[in-house]
Amino acid sequence: MKTTPTTNKRERGTKMKTFQKAMILGTGLLLAACSSPDRFGDSTVDLNGTGANSGVIAGSASDPTSPAYFSQTVGDRVLFPVDQHTLTSTAQQTLNGQAQWLLRNTDYDALIEGHADEQGTREYNLALGARRANSVQEYLISQGVPSTRLKVISYGKERPIEICSEESCYAQNRRSVTVISAGAGV
Amino acid sequence: MMYRMMTLALACLVAFQAPALQAQDGPLRLEIKEGVIEPMPFAVPDFVPESGAAEELSRNIARVVAADLSGTGLFREISQDAFISRVTSFSSPVQFADWKAINAQALVTGAVAVDGTGRVTAKFRVWDVFAGQELGSGLQFVGTVDGWRRIAHKVADQVYSRITGEGGYFDSRVVFVSETGPKDNRAKRLSIMDYDGANLKYLTDSSSIVLAPRFSPTGDRVLYTSYESGFPRVYVLDVASVSRRLLESQDGTMSFAPRFSPDGRTVVYSLIQGGNTDIYTMDIATGASQRLTNAPSIETAPSFSPDGRQIVFESDRSGTNQIYVMNAQGGEARRISGGTGQYGTPVWSPRGDYIAFTKQSKGRFHIGVMRVNGEEERLLTASFLDEGPTWSPNGRVIMFTRETQGAQGQSRLWSVDITGRNLRQVQTPGGASDPSWSPLQ
Amino acid sequence: MATAMNTGQIISGAGHTVLIGWLLFGGAFNTDPIPFEVTQVTAISTEEFEALMAVERAPNAASSVTEPTPPETVEPPAPALSSQTDAETAQTPPTPAEPITPDPTPEPPAPTPRPEAQVEDTAPVLPSPPQDTAVLLPEKSLRPKPRPAPRVAPEQVAPPEPETAIDDVVREEVVADDTATTQREEAEATAPEEAATEIVTEAEEGGGPIAPTASMRPKTRPERPTQAAEAKPETQPETPKPATPKPAETDNSAVQDALAAALGQASEPAPDTAPSGPPLTGGEKDALRVAVQSCWNVGSLSTEALGTTVVVTVDMGEDSKPINGSIKMIGSSGGSAAAAGQAFEAARRAIIRCGSSGFNLPIEKYGQWKTIEMTFNPENMRIK
Repeated sequence: MKTTPTTNKRERGTKMKTFQKAMILGTGLLLAACSSPDRFGDSTVDLNGTGANSGVIAGSASDPTSPAYFSQTVGDRVLFPVDQHTLTSTAQQTLNGQAQWLLRNTDYDALIEGHADEQGTREYNLALGARRANSVQEYLISQGVPSTRLKVISYGKERPIEICSEESCYAQNRRSVTVISAGAGV
Repeated sequence: MMYRMMTLALACLVAFQAPALQAQDGPLRLEIKEGVIEPMPFAVPDFVPESGAAEELSRNIARVVAADLSGTGLFREISQDAFISRVTSFSSPVQFADWKAINAQALVTGAVAVDGTGRVTAKFRVWDVFAGQELGSGLQFVGTVDGWRRIAHKVADQVYSRITGEGGYFDSRVVFVSETGPKDNRAKRLSIMDYDGANLKYLTDSSSIVLAPRFSPTGDRVLYTSYESGFPRVYVLDVASVSRRLLESQDGTMSFAPRFSPDGRTVVYSLIQGGNTDIYTMDIATGASQRLTNAPSIETAPSFSPDGRQIVFESDRSGTNQIYVMNAQGGEARRISGGTGQYGTPVWSPRGDYIAFTKQSKGRFHIGVMRVNGEEERLLTASFLDEGPTWSPNGRVIMFTRETQGAQGQSRLWSVDITGRNLRQVQTPGGASDPSWSPLQ
Repeated sequence: MATAMNTGQIISGAGHTVLIGWLLFGGAFNTDPIPFEVTQVTAISTEEFEALMAVERAPNAASSVTEPTPPETVEPPAPALSSQTDAETAQTPPTPAEPITPDPTPEPPAPTPRPEAQVEDTAPVLPSPPQDTAVLLPEKSLRPKPRPAPRVAPEQVAPPEPETAIDDVVREEVVADDTATTQREEAEATAPEEAATEIVTEAEEGGGPIAPTASMRPKTRPERPTQAAEAKPETQPETPKPATPKPAETDNSAVQDALAAALGQASEPAPDTAPSGPPLTGGEKDALRVAVQSCWNVGSLSTEALGTTVVVTVDMGEDSKPINGSIKMIGSSGGSAAAAGQAFEAARRAIIRCGSSGFNLPIEKYGQWKTIEMTFNPENMRIK
């Protein structure tokens, strides 16, 4: 069923272009996409204030077509119980929103990151992160998002978002994050 | 534990009673079944400089030899302050009485000469002080001034081996991951150093996450996982030239947890495809790969047996992480871990007698060893997070990663004797994880 | 590493190397009693590393071995020892008290792995007296879990008092006292080094209740450290000990003669042919066994050597000291010849070290213990 892995240099070249485009989207966007919403509490308030006065600013979190809106308003992450990769109903709700956003904003692709808490070996956590990212990918596909627009990566326990060694942090770290990038069609 | 105590008590009982019951016939017969386990006191006086330029080197080499031996936990150095005898000539007879008086059971004497071209000659002898005999015969190593530490390690390996009867591990290196920066944005660099922390060198920069380097059986290459391509993939790096190459890989997949086969030609690793992790092998030269497991569960952390015939790995097919052994060609796997808790990262000992592993149980992590059939499981350490054991070249010592708890948590390298004694931190300049021990050089 | 050798191999190897070295380079080193092998060491390239490995595996490989060094006048390198002269100083092991701190831990936050291993201020506990055959180390059953200590011994020993020097012999501190009628030499108090009955790993340490140190304390202060002292008379300060017929080491024979005379036994050595005198009592044999095992350190043996039982014979002098040159291995089982060689060396060290001041053996039964055959079986030590 699964084929022997072989190198596909052309595809790798394409991917690099995609990454460059993603970089052009701007550092702020990437930061927003990669960080937890609560850290941006201040800037969100600020942006909202601006928005109330002068309307929607393109690219800001108040612009429903912006990746910032995706990460902050739609919600870019879903959380998992210990050692699990099945989606909770809360997670499914978030992913429904993600799917709708992606279907509306077809210029963007998504990279789905899988993460784990630190309670496990490096190897197992890499595998577990991949399972989590894959669960999200499969759900988004089931909601109609073309699989060609979705890529997955696992970080295992290498990139925690919260750094304490308590369940409150672990719960935040057992996550999948959908990172929006410029699609191949941009 | 109770069982062990009872066994001991019983053994003592037998030991106490048996001699008394023996009939007196021929020589007096005794059976000694109880002894002590303690570090053997030894002395390493400064080596004798046999040329003007060798003075400092003579002292330094002796210090490294002593540090190597003390570091095993099997030996205890006797302070030079206690010495009665001075060794001023390598060839003059050893004053055994003076060394016995300070209870030095082993004595290492040596001499160092440096010639005009920077060639260092170090010779040494090992003495069993109480027997008044030399262990083995004199040996001499020749090297360069720059390589003096290797000369010292070679001397120490010889001393260790002559006293314990097993090979040493001092003239070896460790490849590992240096870590800097906060926990949520840790920078990682592939690094290499002597086993004792000297001669540190970096093999990669910190621009990509790198994980779990593994030495080749001859120490010439290192396999590791890097996010350099954007995704975790396996690379092979030539240690001498520090040049690296991405192993054959397919877009949309991730690969990690590589290890060499004992002949150095094949890599066994984990490949993630469609969210599922299985074990594959690949011919490093041709890139041809073979799938060994095919299950919806996670199969990872594979490690070859020293004869190359079997592979031990970790799988959660039973619902928890356990350790399995299969043929090197794949096929049916049998579970060998039996206790409660989660088992991971099994590594076959270079001697083939044990499998070291990581165990997670009741909120703690352990490094442990078990026989290759899973029996005689023994946990050697316990902490917030211990993982990733690697064996010393002689199969006697295990090095691993220990990470401390909390927001300021840091990883360091630690080592422990397979008996569970001599737990100690390995010297590294900063944070460090994922050690892999080279063969003896 | 092909250096695990038994004595025979060592002798043979040395002999051959001498011969070869002599033929090749005779005359270069005038003072070297023993030949050398020479190995190149460099720290530069992998090729060289591999070459070195090859050298170590096959020291005769012509490609990498440079000149074997030349021996010369082969003078006996190690004259047979007279252990007697050294014995007096045996009570000075100076180092044990210094904590064996791992060198490679320079990092400030480095946690010390086992603080418990340090000497603490608890009373020493005497090992059980060997004469008492019934003693079965009750400490063991009292303690479900031994506390970790860097030393593992058959009998658990609590950490000695802080000022107590570590010694195999337990002695009370002797302070000069002008008022005392009998003068005793001043002496440092000594106690056996703290020991656990088995290796305690970090994993086991935290797991169960660690028995309180208090349970290790003897109920009463040991009145006389007779057992150990008798095993090693020379370390005993010149103290009147009427009850125990332990001769001071200086005039061993005189006392023994007197003793023998007092006991109405012949002081002449028994004829060589057969054991004479009554058999040793269980207590006497146990005392000997305990004395030897307290010096039998298997801590630096390979795991293979730890699986090897060796049978050793030793001829004893009438002074109850082993004749060091007579110690030989007459059999082994469970391991390779090399492993047996290491196991024998450890056994030999045990006999010599603990016999250097004479064992506690009744001279009137000399014929019984003129030759002693000891089986060193490390089976129990392996599982600790």
